Amino acid sequence: MLEWVALKIGELALRLKASLITLRGIRDFIDDYPIDEILLKAIKGEEGVYPFGELASYGAAMLGAPINRRGYPRFLTIDDLILVPPAFTPRRLEKMAELLREPVFTDVNLEVDVGGLKSSMPLVVASMGSTDIASRYSIAIAKAAAKEGIPFGIGENVHTVRGYDRRLTRGHPSFKERVMAYLTNMDKYGGVFIQQNVEDAYDEHWNKVYSDKDLEPYIDEGRVAFEIKIGQGAKPGLGGVIKMRREDAVKVREKYHFLEDPLKTDRKTVERYSAPGTYTADILRGMIRLMRTSYPRVKIWVKVGPFRDVLDVIKVAYEEGANAVIIDGKEGGTGMAPSIAMKELGYPTIVGLIKIREARLMGIDDRMSLMIAGRLFNGAHIAKSRALGASAVYAGRPFVAAAMVKGEAGVRNLIRATKVETQMIVSALGKYNIRDVSQEDVASLNKDLATALGIPYVYSREF
Amino acid sequence: MGKVNPAVLEFETMVKDKESYVKFIEEWVKHSWRWAKENKYTTVFKIQASILRAIREYLDSQGFVEALPPIIGPVTDPGIRGAKQATIDFYGHEYKVMSSAILYKQYMAAVLGKVYFVSPNIRLEPNDSVFTGRHLVEFFQVDLEILNGTLDDAMKVAEGLFTYVAKYIKDVHGKDLEKMGRSLPDYKPPFLRYTHAEAVELVNMLGCRNPQNTEILWECEKVLSAYHDTPIFIYQYPKGSRGFYNREDPGKPGYLRDFDMLYPEGFGEAISGGEREYEPVKVIARIRESGEDPNKYRWLLEMLKDFYPLKTAGFGIGVERFTRFICGLRAVWEARPYPKVAGIGPAP
Repeated sequence: MLEWVALKIGELALRLKASLITLRGIRDFIDDYPIDEILLKAIKGEEGVYPFGELASYGAAMLGAPINRRGYPRFLTIDDLILVPPAFTPRRLEKMAELLREPVFTDVNLEVDVGGLKSSMPLVVASMGSTDIASRYSIAIAKAAAKEGIPFGIGENVHTVRGYDRRLTRGHPSFKERVMAYLTNMDKYGGVFIQQNVEDAYDEHWNKVYSDKDLEPYIDEGRVAFEIKIGQGAKPGLGGVIKMRREDAVKVREKYHFLEDPLKTDRKTVERYSAPGTYTADILRGMIRLMRTSYPRVKIWVKVGPFRDVLDVIKVAYEEGANAVIIDGKEGGTGMAPSIAMKELGYPTIVGLIKIREARLMGIDDRMSLMIAGRLFNGAHIAKSRALGASAVYAGRPFVAAAMVKGEAGVRNLIRATKVETQMIVSALGKYNIRDVSQEDVASLNKDLATALGIPYVYSREF
Repeated sequence: MGKVNPAVLEFETMVKDKESYVKFIEEWVKHSWRWAKENKYTTVFKIQASILRAIREYLDSQGFVEALPPIIGPVTDPGIRGAKQATIDFYGHEYKVMSSAILYKQYMAAVLGKVYFVSPNIRLEPNDSVFTGRHLVEFFQVDLEILNGTLDDAMKVAEGLFTYVAKYIKDVHGKDLEKMGRSLPDYKPPFLRYTHAEAVELVNMLGCRNPQNTEILWECEKVLSAYHDTPIFIYQYPKGSRGFYNREDPGKPGYLRDFDMLYPEGFGEAISGGEREYEPVKVIARIRESGEDPNKYRWLLEMLKDFYPLKTAGFGIGVERFTRFICGLRAVWEARPYPKVAGIGPAP
């Protein structure tokens, strides 16, 4: 009898566990991503830069630097670096001479050129593709990004899966809706960058965009870039995969790889795989040349995953006159990736930053932007990345989370809060232009990182 | 040193005021029957017929066989600057309307040896092509290919063909040309040959800034064309600025065994051609440069394996551009009835 109860309890526990597993994906995100920080900003806007909920308030909380981290990370992150403000601030004196008053953080100028586009701050909305989640919130994010003046990306497969200007799937905006939601809401800052993968190439996506009359004025103005995708952080070396309804799959069956022929299966949904795309240095070189010939009025961006030969990619891109290279570290977000890929393939984001620093030291000057992506979302991440040679931070998930809780307003709040946060940090460093932030402003809590980045190790006398 | 033809200059003046030019071109295209009946254009169409006749005479005399061109197929020429392809539904498969018959020329060269097509092409050019005077969405091309031919063979045929046709038209239509105010000199091949690098150096010297390793910009091509009073060749283009079928020079990696021929007097590009890449692995790598899946070109790749090594060379010459040059017209939209111009429709 007792055994039977024990068995039943065991079964119940396992079933409970099993039902929780079905929540994986969203649950992992909530558990593992610093979601509180983002949601607070999405809800409260600029006020969200302070760690207050509804109860605590200015001057009534007891706060201090957190030293504990949830879980134990397997690898080092950008949080292993710290920002080190000085006491003596000659630049602040300069600014004061200019303003004839004590400067404050709102005086900090964050404007930058990102891959040939003008941005109100060094932050970019990553190109997100056709997956359900990216697609659902894309319009709210597009509008918010446009209004706040930061560049916005449209990822692969959107044209092929969701339709160019006609909706192919119910409830999901077409490519054209997404791009126009951004462009028509843009003011003097910002621009859109557009991916084309192997399957979109089948539909001549870029050609279509380039000769689209509605987009032409923006192309003429230099507000459009095309982004070559050579992999992504969450699954470097693997192509995209999503589940599709069988009837949708039938429509695109000649363009994608399916494990099961959608015509023959009796399942309601099928997995659709897209190819990672084959590159060599020669192929990339040829591709950039071909694009510069065919699309002389758009900027060219190249997004790479955490590959060991990323410096070679940067070199080719620079020589051929590309406008930007983005390194997406292993913490980079995705709508879907095999667990083993996220765990084992590629190196952490911070290593991407080491590569960027190396590239800058190698002589890749700011004619080409270098961006870093992968779990980067706040003002400190932006300041640290800039200090080490990156032109901007490239982020996706924070915007989706903000859109999920509060739509377009949530995303605008998040961007504004991040702006204020960045301004605070830059002013704390005694500087009033983000472009002045440099390696002297960062130090490392970890010896290996300090060596790799050529910055001081905090717990040493050299610091 | 030559100079820019007055018709080309007139066109340039027209496009300076973009708004009124677009108005003009809309009227021109939408009511084309109104001008097509004018004496000038009936003469142009008759000269065009003679140009085609002369081309056929010349090529037939050189042992070429005329073959029927394809109209649709699963793939077409991908190597077109920024132009879209027209797609049709072929019983559930996506087919393309030919933007050029390039891939089929290799097919027919393997079958017949020396071949040519007089083939219709559709290229949905970008909107700004309205302002070049050299782009039509629907146009004809004489496309030829020589089995086991070389770059030099193709350039020699180009020279011979051009010279023969120009002389033929002068002989047959001397009076007509005179009435149109057009005078053609006696052309004497061989024409000047510049490598791409030399051509870039020359245009830069002439004051048109053209970056190395990219296609010659339209503006600079005109400068180069205006600088000469006979056609010229530019060969050895850098890899990457051209379609995957252009063969890389094994003796000079990074450069192609290809060429363009430019008309003189500022009329610009006449001919594009060269040797074809025939190593399947190289073709596949080159296809990837346009970001595509080689699977799309499966029939071509299978054919290249079956006929290995399928070495050919050839070129294509646009009939409307040829007509524009011979008659000294402002733009290609004068060189054919019912012209189709990017972005303007509906029209006959």
